[in-house]
Amino acid sequence: MVDVGLVVANLVYGLLIGIIYGIATVGLNMIFGVLKIVNVGHGAFIMVGAYVTLLLFTLAGVTPPLTIVASMAVGIGLGLLFYYLVIKYLVDAPELATLLATFAIGVLLQEIVKAFMGADSRGFTWNLGNIEIAGVSVALSKVIAAILSIALLGFLYLVIYRTKLGLAIRAVVQDKEGAMVVGVDVDRIYAISFALGIMVTVASGSILAMYLQSGIHPYMGEIYTLKGFVIAVMAGLGSIPGAFIAGILFGLFENLSYVALQSIEGIQPLVLTRSIAFLLLLIILLVKPSGLFQR
Amino acid sequence: MAGKNLYLGVGILIIIILLAGVFMMQGGEEQATQTGETTPAAGQTQEQTQAQETQQEAKTETQTEAQAGGEVETLVIGAPLSLSGKYAKEGEMSLMGALAAVKWINDNGGITVNGKKYMLEFKYYDDESNPDRVTSIVERLITQDGVKFLLAPYSSGLTAKAAPVAERYGALMLSHGGASDKIFQQGYDYLVQILTPASRYFTSVLDMVKAIDPQAKTVAIVYKENEFSRTVAEGAKAYAEKLGFEVVYFQSYPADAQDLTPVLQPLKDLQPDVIIGGGHFADGQLLARQINELGIKAKLVGILVAPALPDFYKNLGEAAEGIVYPSQWEPGVTFSPETTPQGYEWYGPTVEEFIKYFKEVAKERGKGDIMPSYHAADAAAAILFLAKAIEQANSLNPDDVRQAMNDLALFTFYGKLKIDPETGLQIGHDMIVGQWQNGKKVIVWPKEAAQAEPLYPKP
Repeated sequence: MVDVGLVVANLVYGLLIGIIYGIATVGLNMIFGVLKIVNVGHGAFIMVGAYVTLLLFTLAGVTPPLTIVASMAVGIGLGLLFYYLVIKYLVDAPELATLLATFAIGVLLQEIVKAFMGADSRGFTWNLGNIEIAGVSVALSKVIAAILSIALLGFLYLVIYRTKLGLAIRAVVQDKEGAMVVGVDVDRIYAISFALGIMVTVASGSILAMYLQSGIHPYMGEIYTLKGFVIAVMAGLGSIPGAFIAGILFGLFENLSYVALQSIEGIQPLVLTRSIAFLLLLIILLVKPSGLFQR
Repeated sequence: MAGKNLYLGVGILIIIILLAGVFMMQGGEEQATQTGETTPAAGQTQEQTQAQETQQEAKTETQTEAQAGGEVETLVIGAPLSLSGKYAKEGEMSLMGALAAVKWINDNGGITVNGKKYMLEFKYYDDESNPDRVTSIVERLITQDGVKFLLAPYSSGLTAKAAPVAERYGALMLSHGGASDKIFQQGYDYLVQILTPASRYFTSVLDMVKAIDPQAKTVAIVYKENEFSRTVAEGAKAYAEKLGFEVVYFQSYPADAQDLTPVLQPLKDLQPDVIIGGGHFADGQLLARQINELGIKAKLVGILVAPALPDFYKNLGEAAEGIVYPSQWEPGVTFSPETTPQGYEWYGPTVEEFIKYFKEVAKERGKGDIMPSYHAADAAAAILFLAKAIEQANSLNPDDVRQAMNDLALFTFYGKLKIDPETGLQIGHDMIVGQWQNGKKVIVWPKEAAQAEPLYPKP
């Protein structure tokens, strides 16, 4: 009944898009983990990254993998800017204030981009041909996007677990007052963590653009804010590797549930996969409310 | 200390929100008359807006009075149009098309009703592609601005929202971007369709395949899950089966899909002769790209809406080559007063005139030197059909104008226009088939209007 080739193909594509979902959620979860702030404007930063890649590639001919470096720089810049301009004053403010502030930042970014770029849905073509993975033909650009996601995660991991800065970040996460007592500048750590989180998010936008190469418009981020929240809650808010793994699971689940649904007559499977994904979230929350990877 | 920081934070928060608001208004809340002088902002109180509107109207009237010595009155046509949000692209085109037609009519003496001359004025608000905004805008246009004749918003979904409101107030609404058949099965008396209905969108494409390749047997249909695209897909399926094709695949994808790989994967094995489908702009691009990426070979790929816009090739490059699309209209069509068919009456600008007026409007709106898409022509045709019907009815009462439309058979730069008296459905206008060849759009079907031979099979 179920076509094996189709299952394998959806496994491969589910894994690839899952890795992208994963990296696109890591920044959201990192910011929550350290600052306890939910970044509702998350998707807008992804959108900014997609535009960085689009513009550098179409105007200056920079090869997309290199644009990630530019996106990281833009991300750090935006992160520091918004931290010192807004977030700094809201770290201890009521949740509603941070939700509103990050939402406003998101809308601001969307509208600035729209003012300069227009609302058109754009795309570009960066075609490197296809390769075979487990007998499934996949665009090489998609594979590279996935590899770069893993590299970016590795970079973040090194920063957090192998540097003194990372040690300070982890100290602040564990015990803010304690870290202050031993001389950690908490405000600075907040600033750096926020910037790092935004950096990964903007860079993931570049990776996403490389993966899809179409559908780049000022409001493209909204769906990733939504999916990002689902994945983050699945993983347990705050966990960085958890967010990545949950992203992969989400991608696999989305694609495989498609195959399962396809074998049922008279329904439109791809339309239903999303509700299935949310059903999964509901079950996880019922069984393990703290998320899959939360201690 | 903490208290002070909090105040500072709240202060900055307010500034950010205000800034965001300003940006939203710039692009989002656009409201202007045909002359387009003022742009009242969203957050203004009603009194302010009304005061400005009075000023605005006063200004328009003095202008026209000066032009024609006080004999001329103004007739306002209203519309909710999507100038931001997901239909921003199509909405902007509709707006410029409508403005071009209004301008042509005014430059050619306006319209005459009961011996009195009327200049047209086009009043629109940005609906942000948002159904809730559409209903409130239509209500506002009718109750506050006193508009009796309306263009519908872009897309079938938004038109379905607008139609009941217009119906309730007895205002006549012309659908230029709502091709859905279903809206016209609801028994609305004040809704009239200008473009070819969705169910007939792919008939010309399938006719073409049948004519040039009788060997083609299998058809796959992949469409966006919404009212419009489903009607197109179902209409295409029925017509394909009627022509003797076998529909081997019939699947939809969600409106905001970012990745169509799962839906397209089975086509690799099915290898259909013809793939048709799509929805609107963003997803149509995605569909074309991923069909190419997955290496799916078909003799013909026909996609809705997206390929008709110039950005399609810019964004897709090679992947766009050979893609076929049904179109309501293309700038290269050859309809002219001389080719007017029996029983039809020519009205409005010629194709060249329309393009000229459109370009003027586009330049005024800072869009540069661009060509009209069929969305622009749809909206312009709606204005022309309405203007002619008002003249024919010799009345400004929507009921009389609706009655007059039943007997109207117009031939315009857009082709034939004729409605079904019962439902208001468009029965005159036919689709043409376009194709991307060597980075250019050409009309390939019907033969009478073709600029080039169809590229078949698709490279």
